[in-house]
Amino acid sequence: MARPLLGWAIFAVAMLLLPQFVSNGTLRIIIFANFLAIFAMSWDFISGKTGYISFGHPFLIGIGAYTSAILSYRFGMPVSLSIPLAVLATMVGGTLFFLPALRIKGTYFALVTLAFMELMYQLVQVIRPDLTGGTRGISGIKTILSGAAPNFYLSFGLMFAIGLALWLLSRTRLGTALDAISMNEEAVSGSGLNTTRLKLFAFMVSALVAGLGGAFYVHYLGSIAPRALFDINFVFTIIVSVLIGGSATIIGPIMGAFFMTFLLEYLRPLLPGSERYLVYGMIALVLYVYQPKGIMQILKNLSLRTRGPQTGRSGNV
Amino acid sequence: MKTSAVKTGLAALTLSLSMSMSTLAFAADTVKIGFIGSFASDAGRSTLRGAEIAVEELNSAGGVLGGKTIELVKADTGEDVTEGIKAYEYLAETEEVEFIVSGDVDDVSLGWLPRMVEYKIPTLDTWTSSITIIDKIVEDYDSYKMYFMNVASDEALATLYVDFGKDILAGKMGWKKTVILQEDTAFGGAINGLVTGLLAPEAGIEVVDTIVYDPATVDFSPIFSRAVESGADFIYIISSVNSQVVSSQYVKQQVPLAMTGVNVAALGQEYWEDTGGSGGGISTLSPVPSVGFSLDPVSQAFADKYVAKYGSERPKYPHFNGFNAYFGVKQAFAAAEEAGGFGLDKWVPAMENQDLILEKDGELWMRYGFWKPGETEERTGRTYPHNLRFDITPPYDDGAPSMVVVQWYEDGSSKVVYPPKYANGEFQVPSWVKK
Amino acid sequence: MLQVLIQGFLLSGLYALIAVGFTLIFSVGRVLNLAYGAYLMLGGYAYFYSVQTLGMPKLPGFLFATGMGALAGVLMYRLLVKRLKGDQVAVEISTLILAVVIQAGVVLVFNDSSKILHPIVGGVWRIGSTTITNNILVAMVASWIILGGLLLFVKKTHVGRAMQAVSMDAKGARISGINTDRVNMMTWAISGALGSVAGVFFASYTQLNPSMWVAPLIIAVAVVIVGGIGSIVGTLIVAHIIGFMEIITTTFIAAELRGVFTMLLIIGVLVIRPQGLFGRGDL
Repeated sequence: MARPLLGWAIFAVAMLLLPQFVSNGTLRIIIFANFLAIFAMSWDFISGKTGYISFGHPFLIGIGAYTSAILSYRFGMPVSLSIPLAVLATMVGGTLFFLPALRIKGTYFALVTLAFMELMYQLVQVIRPDLTGGTRGISGIKTILSGAAPNFYLSFGLMFAIGLALWLLSRTRLGTALDAISMNEEAVSGSGLNTTRLKLFAFMVSALVAGLGGAFYVHYLGSIAPRALFDINFVFTIIVSVLIGGSATIIGPIMGAFFMTFLLEYLRPLLPGSERYLVYGMIALVLYVYQPKGIMQILKNLSLRTRGPQTGRSGNV
Repeated sequence: MKTSAVKTGLAALTLSLSMSMSTLAFAADTVKIGFIGSFASDAGRSTLRGAEIAVEELNSAGGVLGGKTIELVKADTGEDVTEGIKAYEYLAETEEVEFIVSGDVDDVSLGWLPRMVEYKIPTLDTWTSSITIIDKIVEDYDSYKMYFMNVASDEALATLYVDFGKDILAGKMGWKKTVILQEDTAFGGAINGLVTGLLAPEAGIEVVDTIVYDPATVDFSPIFSRAVESGADFIYIISSVNSQVVSSQYVKQQVPLAMTGVNVAALGQEYWEDTGGSGGGISTLSPVPSVGFSLDPVSQAFADKYVAKYGSERPKYPHFNGFNAYFGVKQAFAAAEEAGGFGLDKWVPAMENQDLILEKDGELWMRYGFWKPGETEERTGRTYPHNLRFDITPPYDDGAPSMVVVQWYEDGSSKVVYPPKYANGEFQVPSWVKK
Repeated sequence: MLQVLIQGFLLSGLYALIAVGFTLIFSVGRVLNLAYGAYLMLGGYAYFYSVQTLGMPKLPGFLFATGMGALAGVLMYRLLVKRLKGDQVAVEISTLILAVVIQAGVVLVFNDSSKILHPIVGGVWRIGSTTITNNILVAMVASWIILGGLLLFVKKTHVGRAMQAVSMDAKGARISGINTDRVNMMTWAISGALGSVAGVFFASYTQLNPSMWVAPLIIAVAVVIVGGIGSIVGTLIVAHIIGFMEIITTTFIAAELRGVFTMLLIIGVLVIRPQGLFGRGDL
């Protein structure tokens, strides 16, 4: 327990010192990486932990983002009130998400969540465009802070708190039980645990994180549009971040999110146009097919290899 | 296909590496400006190339602001809202540009707008006509004053359409009833609201039915059936996202009603090629200079230069926003010369006073100027601060024409059919429609 | 009423054609190919490029598109699916990534503005206020012929019966001496070819653009979910349910709610009857 905690502490200190060393442009990139990391951790808590793959995670993020945006922009509610309400709304949305999980899993669950996202995309445009801003969305939403460094601290603080909380949670017996669901749900329920309640718990935690992330995100961006959220490319980025990093590891999704965000941003000066997305996608694909367990596993293999030749075989893929 | 893509990627890589090397050489005495938009869309490329030509001309004429060279940095949005925000941040924080020209679509511009307010970088939009942005300048001038839009906004578009309805559709064709087909987008909703309110009282055309449809509609035949059954004399279409589908199905199904309105797909010269020639008979409102628009000598010179430089790669001919970017970048620098740079206190008033009048055969043909804050446009009775100064009252000799109506004929040619001052063709119904 | 019937049958025919290749992979390979929509895109663009850009006659262009689809199917199987042996989730995720990559590739090669295909067969005729293009009529007839042919192929030929065997019980099929790898590859090739053919018709109906893979994928997913792991006949029936629902919504309720009902149907069926209306049948 002590060593990983030390790791978290070093991580926090290093990140907090970062604004002294890097440019504002880089901080802006990290802010996006922080938010992506939050979304990735939220996804990972349902999908990585319990094995219920969600293809519609923007549905949850979108509820959080839209609720807070509408409450603060249309009704002048202070952010300190609109964000908690948005989180609550997201958790209600999370129960909706949860209902199908009572009966279906695997592929079918993935598809129903995808349908949820598509439905949301269509509804946001059709129902009450006077509130949602329809296809053009809302611009000029109140931002909490301005400037690169303050927003960096805020987004990092949020991401770090969520990460640490999830990590601590995953070390409890509850966390272990959740992990077991992804291995063998029947065995877990056979051992006398209430899997439905466990799953509901995982969904609520995931929705809570998604809602928090979505609400803070929209108050960072200052604008929201359906096309930016309920989009298969957004799903793609979230899922790939987790998988590239290493799912069900907390730190993996964080690393994956940073990797994906920086990869795309560092390609910008080299490949300014659409080649960028092509290369970005191909790297993600090759990495995923080469090592579906992600960067975490690659690092593990590397450290095994450097530590002793007798275990080196596992690194020799 | 994969290998060729990789090759292009590699080529682009070496190219951009060598380009970034060469820009390092004269980094000292430069003014950096940014382009934001999609590198792969016709709209984005038109703006980018218009800006490139303007920069080239300014640089070869001895530079700006006391002999400095302009360096244009570009950031791709891929027409994605979030990427647009990142691109704006990149231009502002990493490249630290002093001025940004945009070729973005509505929601992308609205997406980065809060960033503009934060960074206070003078920004010129050349494609979106979203009145929402102009409204923000009306409400909060100090926060948004660095924004300019040199396309006439939604309101101007709707008003011209009502005039077209009165003069041509009702006056000349004798049509009394219309059915509105509106794509379910915010733009569609805005235009529909404006037009529906004005058509009956001003043009004497009754709206007998309104059909709002999903932009992802696969099959328009039930929608066209409903339109035909409504008993209308013509279809008024409002479509900006998936215009090709509705117009090509209209042509393929030979719907026996004339269809006119707003059809964004038909705005570019590539329309004919993209529809494989099955787009005849379609007419649409277009910002100026549209396809088929006769150009004044200055704009013509720009168009010729564009074709010579980029004519092998689409868009082979600039869309309206290419012209807007060309003239807009020049005006932004003219304002900067007067203000001694891009500092907002001096640059904004200087930009507000820019007024470029382009004449053809001795009369005012196009005008690039802006409405000033507080200045009321008489016809619509409202203000349009920092929107292109347009003229919607005949004889159109005050501002730029707000819009024109262009028609694609079945032989693949396109002409302006309204307003009369700019018309060089006649409004026609497609051959399969019984008159 | 007659109009709704006609339009319903025409649209449903197209939807059946779109869904059948997807169903095939789902039944035989037991995986969802989320890059299925990319076959339609490849087919459409291949046809556009060969016929409208290079000026080839329509038939060779059509065959070229079909071949491209089959090739894409084989490559997908060889390079992705086989490596990830049997891991359904991994296949779904990697095909999703692949679809995004292909989309970026199409933007790179063809630019992201929409393009229109000529009708494959020109001409129209009218019944009342309903217009029927020969193009969509041909699409519907082709769809019926292809579905019928596929049914015969599966029931009557050796390869088809092997596919059926794999679809019912892959392990059992392997034990009884069927080369499941080859059968799988054949299935992926056929699915790719079917997807491409559907793509040419779909594009000639709507348009070509780099994000066009999403809409047909959703149609295919809807058909598979509502129908259950699919028999070919089941696919045909469900395509008609969805097609007719869409036409009825557009004609009588509100055209902008077209997609909403399809999504509600998917969610409803998945929650109430996850195995689909027709359950789990063989091919």
